[in-house]
Parts: sequence; C-alpha cells; structure tokens
Amino acid sequence: MTQVEQSARAEAETSKSMQKAEVRLRDDTWWYGPVAMALFLVFWEVGVRVGNVPEVFLPRPSLVVVTLYELFAYKQLAYDLVVTLYRIFGGFVLAAIIGIGLGLLMGMSRRIYAICDIFIAAIYPVPKIALLPLLVIWLGTGNAFQIALSALGCIFPILINTIIGVRQCDEGLILAARDLGATQLQIQRKVVLPAAVPAIFGGLRLALGISIILVVAAEMQTARYGLGAKLQLAGQVLETGQVFAILLLLAVMGIALTKAQDRIGNIVDRWRAR
Amino acid sequence: MQFEAISIEGLSHRFLSKNRSPTVALNDVSAQFPAGKVTSIVGPSGCGKSTLLLIMRGLVEATDGKVRFLYGNGSGKLTAGAAPRMATVWQSFNLLPWRTVIDNVAFGLELQGVPVAERRERAISAIKAVDLAGFEQHYPGQLSGGMKQRVGLARGIVMSPDILFLDEPFGALDAQTRLYLQEQLAELVERSAKTVILITHSIEEAIFLGDRVVVMTARPGKIAATLDIDLPRPRSFEVQKEKAFGDLFSEIYGLLRDEVRKSMLS
Repeated sequence: MTQVEQSARAEAETSKSMQKAEVRLRDDTWWYGPVAMALFLVFWEVGVRVGNVPEVFLPRPSLVVVTLYELFAYKQLAYDLVVTLYRIFGGFVLAAIIGIGLGLLMGMSRRIYAICDIFIAAIYPVPKIALLPLLVIWLGTGNAFQIALSALGCIFPILINTIIGVRQCDEGLILAARDLGATQLQIQRKVVLPAAVPAIFGGLRLALGISIILVVAAEMQTARYGLGAKLQLAGQVLETGQVFAILLLLAVMGIALTKAQDRIGNIVDRWRAR
Repeated sequence: MQFEAISIEGLSHRFLSKNRSPTVALNDVSAQFPAGKVTSIVGPSGCGKSTLLLIMRGLVEATDGKVRFLYGNGSGKLTAGAAPRMATVWQSFNLLPWRTVIDNVAFGLELQGVPVAERRERAISAIKAVDLAGFEQHYPGQLSGGMKQRVGLARGIVMSPDILFLDEPFGALDAQTRLYLQEQLAELVERSAKTVILITHSIEEAIFLGDRVVVMTARPGKIAATLDIDLPRPRSFEVQKEKAFGDLFSEIYGLLRDEVRKSMLS
C-alpha cells in the first residue's frame, strides 16, 4: 500500500467516524412520538372491530379519515376551516399589536404602569367566555365578535410577558449602552426591546393556544360557520364520525401551528449558545 | 510635559438602600489622573471604587464634588473643557447576547450614526487588534470568558477614546487567562499611549499595568495613598519577579491589610 493510499484511507476513516458523531448529535428520538401514535391508532382500529363497538359511540380511525375527506369534498369544510383560522389569527394579531405595544410602554414607564395596572388586575381574572353575552350584545355573532373575544383572551399573556421581558433587561447592558453614548430612545429600541424578545415570544406562544380554544368554544355557542359550529351541529345529530373528523382536523391544526412556532422560535433564538 | 486628564475634587457619594441606613460610598475623594498614562485604583471590595468609575464616566451623579476633564494642546497649556471621548470595559462584559461579535464591536459607532461601511471597517480592525479575527460572526454565547472580554475591549477601543475605563476587566476570568490578557493589555496601552483608568482589587495587576496606583480605604471610600510606579516599560510578566515590584506590593498591601480587615468586620 502506498503512502498516499494509506493517508486517503485514514482520512476516510476519520470522516466516517465524524459522520457517526454527527448522527449522534442529531435527535435520534424523533420517531418515538409518531410510532407511539401509530400503535395507538392500530389498537383503536382493531379494538373497535374486535369488540364490535357501535359506530355512534366510537368510529374506527379509518372511518374518521374517510369522513374528514367527505366533509372537505361535499360539505365545504374548507370554508369553515378558513373562517376559523381567520378568527383565530385576527384576534391573535390584534392582541399582539396592542399587547406588545402597551407592554413596552408599561415596562418602561412607571407612570403608565401605575395607570394601567388596576385595569389589568380587574379584567385579567374574568373568564373570557363569561364576556360572551356582553360581546354578542355589542358586536353580534359575526367575525367582529369572534375576533374581539379571541383578542381579549390573547392580550394578557402577551402583555404580561412583554412587561416582564422589559423589566428583566440586564442593567449592565443598559449601562454599557449609555457608556457608548446611547440616547434613551436608542436604549429602548436597541437594548430593552431585543432583550425582551424571548419573553414576548413566550407570551405569543401561550396566546395562540388560548385563541384556538376561545374561537372554537365561541363558535360552538353562536356561529353558523367555522369548525366549532360544524362540530356542535354534528354532535346534535349524533354524527359521531363527523365529530371525530373535526376533532382530528383541530388536532392536526394544533400540531401544525405548534411546530411552526417552534421553527420561528428557533430563528428568533438563534444567538443562544448550542 | 506631564498633565492631568481628569481631576476629581471633593467627591462624595451617598445613597439610600431599602431597609437600611443611608450608605456613604465615597467621602471627600480628590485625585488626579495623568494623561497618556495608566492609573490603577486598588482597594478592598465595597470601597466604592466602581462607584467612583461610574461617577467619573458620567453614568452616576455624585452627591457632592466635581469631576473636571482637562485637555492639553501639546504646548503643556491646560484647558478645561467638555468631556473627552470615553469608553468603558466591564467586569461582566455586558455584551449584547443577540448580536454577533462584529455587531457588538460596532455598537457604539452604530449609535453615533457612523455609516455602515465605515463602522464595519473600523470594527474589523479593532477585532484584529484584540486577536479575534475569524470570530466576527460568532455570538457571545459561543465564546470563552477571555474572548468575550477581548470583544469588550475591542468595543471600547473602536471608539478611539481619549480615556479608557477598565472596571475590574479580568475579575471574571481564570488566572491564566487573566495573566495573558494583562500582558496583551500592557502592550496595547503602551502602543496607544491612551489615558487609562483601571479599577482592580488585584495589587499585582494595579502595579503591573499602572504608571500610578491610587489606594483606597474601606467604606466610606477615601484615598489612602497615591504611588508612582517607575518600573520600566515595556513590561512583561517577568517584571513581577523584580525586587522593586515586590517592594511596591509590600507597601500597598501594608496600606490595605487593615482596610481589608475593617471591610470584613463591618
């Protein structure tokens, strides 16, 4: 064997072991969740067939998927999905704009905090669904009402997290910025706000979950369109397959939104040491 | 011609803390800091030396007394004027963790509205000066303590300050890193001939880096003595083995021993 061959072989060995190390670094448990879910569904399917459970109590998973397809194909479920998403994100975005803006002001100014604090203390503990009658009187049962309800629920986690994020800003960073000649406005824009971003993002995460819950619950009470409305309707006529189909759609939506948030969160937090 | 860059006169500082009687941090402190030289301020913990730095730097307002900045125009004639350009290097680094090294170093220039291309160029040369070339795109969280402090140093010198303040710059670092950075800093200040104010609790560091050492007492902080350090420059760590260095160490420690005991008892 020539020396060149030898060194080439050594190099190949090294790169192979590097690859192994890389594989180990990658998350090797990613398939646990999906496999557990698949097993659960198989047991469900088999259990219902073997146990002869009536379809009106517990339809088979395969039937649920077929029903979901039929709802999309023949009953315009896509329209309900779009309506629900519009309400969820309408309220969420509205709450994010107000919550972050007001939170920054409250975190930075003791006066504004003193004024707003009592209102927040009064409204925050009220279950938002208890505001439903009042909001219906004011806004009717359309999108405006749904969005307002969702925004009311979303605003508090965003607002409170923003205030905490602003307050937790390291004094040393502010001192360093002042030392470098930063104006008050520059300190807030370039130090305090970015320092609060992880906390704000945590608030947004909580808020999106709340928005989904509130919109679907309100739709079940008052709406004609939307996933919640269709869910309520299906339940009233004992279409258990449709109930499960819509629940499945809600679950898939939840997974998709959570994963999307994780992605965005990773980009926002890319500076954290790994 | 030797002249003073900063003169502090009758500086006192008191502050109120929750549930405690008012604290006197500084009591009638007067001192001069020569231009183009390194002045070390050494004292027991809690003697108000960091407060003194914040006051001189204009980040804290003193209860009493004056800080005067003096300019020389080369003829030796002194003129009192507005504050010169200053920058500080902090014990806890205080780097913005969401900014890369280069964006941290360029932060001060960015605040002043220096155009992007120019601040990039100046930041890169400052990063080179502290031996961190190649780490421009790293985040502080990916660097060791010694590297972080070199970023802190680059962030200061990129402003080309007339006066550089160092607040226990190596206090958070391990002994070897500290020794290495002390040597690097000695070389840097010898080359730049800047006015440097170094706060430290290490007597060796105060002597090794300083042209003058100001010794402070325990709280309430007062000035116990001012010593001129006549050790030849450039200095390497070898200078610490010389007898003159040992004598200075003994003298300063003699002044501080009782103060340290007092600060432990109070």
